[in-house]
Amino acid sequence: MATVKLQRVAKRWGSVVGLEDLSLDIADQEFLVLLGPSGCGKTTTMRIIAGLEDPTAGDIFIDDERVNDKPARDRDLAMVFQNYGLYPHMTVADNIGYPLKVRHVPRPDREARVLEAARRVELADLLRRRPAELSGGQRQRVALARVIVRKPRLFLMDEPLSNLDAKLRTTMRAQLKHLQRELAITTIYVTHDQIEAMTLADRIVILSKGRIQQQGSPEDIYAKPINTFVAGFIGSPPMNLIPGEIADGAFRHSAGRIAGPFATSGAVLLGQRPEHVALVAPADGHLNGTVFSSELLGDTRLVTVEAGSDLIGVKTDPRETHAMGRQVGVRFDAEHLHLFDARTGVRIT
Amino acid sequence: MSRRTDKSLRAVLVVLQALLAIVVLLPFFWMVSVSLKPATEPFAIPARLWPEHPTFGNYLTAFRPEFQTYFINSTVVSLTTVVIAVTLGLLAAYCFTRFQMWLLTVLMTLVLLAQMFPASAIIIPIYKLMKGANLLNTYASLIIAYVTVTLPIAIWMLRAFLARLPVTLEEAAAIDGAGPLRAFFEIIVPLCRPGILATAVFVLIVTWQEFLFALSFTSTRDMRTLPVGMNDFIGQYGIRYGELMASSVLISLPVVLIFFLLQRQFVAGLTAGAVKG
Repeated sequence: MATVKLQRVAKRWGSVVGLEDLSLDIADQEFLVLLGPSGCGKTTTMRIIAGLEDPTAGDIFIDDERVNDKPARDRDLAMVFQNYGLYPHMTVADNIGYPLKVRHVPRPDREARVLEAARRVELADLLRRRPAELSGGQRQRVALARVIVRKPRLFLMDEPLSNLDAKLRTTMRAQLKHLQRELAITTIYVTHDQIEAMTLADRIVILSKGRIQQQGSPEDIYAKPINTFVAGFIGSPPMNLIPGEIADGAFRHSAGRIAGPFATSGAVLLGQRPEHVALVAPADGHLNGTVFSSELLGDTRLVTVEAGSDLIGVKTDPRETHAMGRQVGVRFDAEHLHLFDARTGVRIT
Repeated sequence: MSRRTDKSLRAVLVVLQALLAIVVLLPFFWMVSVSLKPATEPFAIPARLWPEHPTFGNYLTAFRPEFQTYFINSTVVSLTTVVIAVTLGLLAAYCFTRFQMWLLTVLMTLVLLAQMFPASAIIIPIYKLMKGANLLNTYASLIIAYVTVTLPIAIWMLRAFLARLPVTLEEAAAIDGAGPLRAFFEIIVPLCRPGILATAVFVLIVTWQEFLFALSFTSTRDMRTLPVGMNDFIGQYGIRYGELMASSVLISLPVVLIFFLLQRQFVAGLTAGAVKG
């Protein structure tokens, strides 16, 4: 059982602002992902929760207890560091068992629990090695075993997969999610990788420049991004954002128009994800253009169309081929259209 | 073409290295050679590189009962100095690398400044202090003086080491539940072992061979250290080179032995401290 509450937390280093007025509630057993580009404040947020950094203002509560003045070692949490933070002079077994040793768990009990944690992450046959003799993936698993060897109130993970190769990252992602469900421990996970965020999170909190941009389930954020920053950050390939103007209820663009009707007017960015855009004959398209490139992604094909001065991504059937330079029409799905204010980037509808 | 210049360049370098080695090693060779010569030979003309009739007589004379007293004195003073200087140095260096305060920057600069005064400049004030504290002719006077001289260098050497240890390790220890002291002794100290050894050997070499303080602060035979003890062979009417050199060899041996035993760690320590990783 552990809930976390941040109340109006701020962090400044002199005139540099790291976090600005951040409030956040994390539910028991929730898998919360802090997502954002580097320098957005996500790691700072986690370090403040861990007690490795003091907030300049605001309060932190763990299980409704204010922990601002509690040192990290008394907060009863466990953390995976980006560079793993393994003790180089200790064996794998000693690394995993260190939190237990510090807490005076008797040796036989300690050894049993180390073995169990090591088994869970498939390290049982490497217990006598030192970190320097392990591969990156193995080190990462040692860090993970050190976290699960006891039952802390909170798991904190700071980009734990970022130093692994792509294939291992996918496997470890699945393992992480499985472990968290099985152990049912509240987890806060920091990443800049939107795919990791989408796949792991119960809830994603998107940060930029020290402020929360949007928070919600991966589905909600994907379906209804609150501004162009979130729209561009979540989803791969990213959402198309096409500048244009709404006049008399219709969207106008140099390469065509969409009838609408739209209940606004003025300069806008029209957003639509590539999977909702369709390639059609030039006569049937909302916008017309030429094929700029065609990339096979495996289960789909990404065709980029140059319409006026804009590039529009379209996901199509992988078996279709599209010659570069061919005239095509682009048709939008009225159900999945997003409109953003061109100046502020904020969602209109 | 370029390969040939490479080769000739390497040949030149080898010759230069050999010359340098001769320049550095010749005095040591001469020391050993003279220590094996009978009393009449050191001044023989033409001089011989190696004695005509090598003898261990000088060693027997050098290894007299006083030598053992001097040896014990040197050992006590040097080892105590090493322990104190390295312990204080490690604690100070830790503070200097882990806490950021303007006061620490000032202190660190002062430490560097303190290192710049030659021993002969500070020996009289220290002598007066020792006299005032009634410490003259005690182990304490030498130990205090030696710690004063070696501590700044110890701090600087260890600081280079500690600066390379990622702070993440201490943060991980804190998350794992360890207090700062525990993290220091269980994480920092073991990881600093090469640096600690290198610093210890360095302090040992400096104190083991120190002459000026030892001569000034001790007045009785039973308090003298080895380098001062060698003075016995320099008399009013002549210098007994054979015995002097034999003593030199005997005094050098322990340090040379320790150096070779710890060589790997020591050299690794020096480079690790020098090259910022």
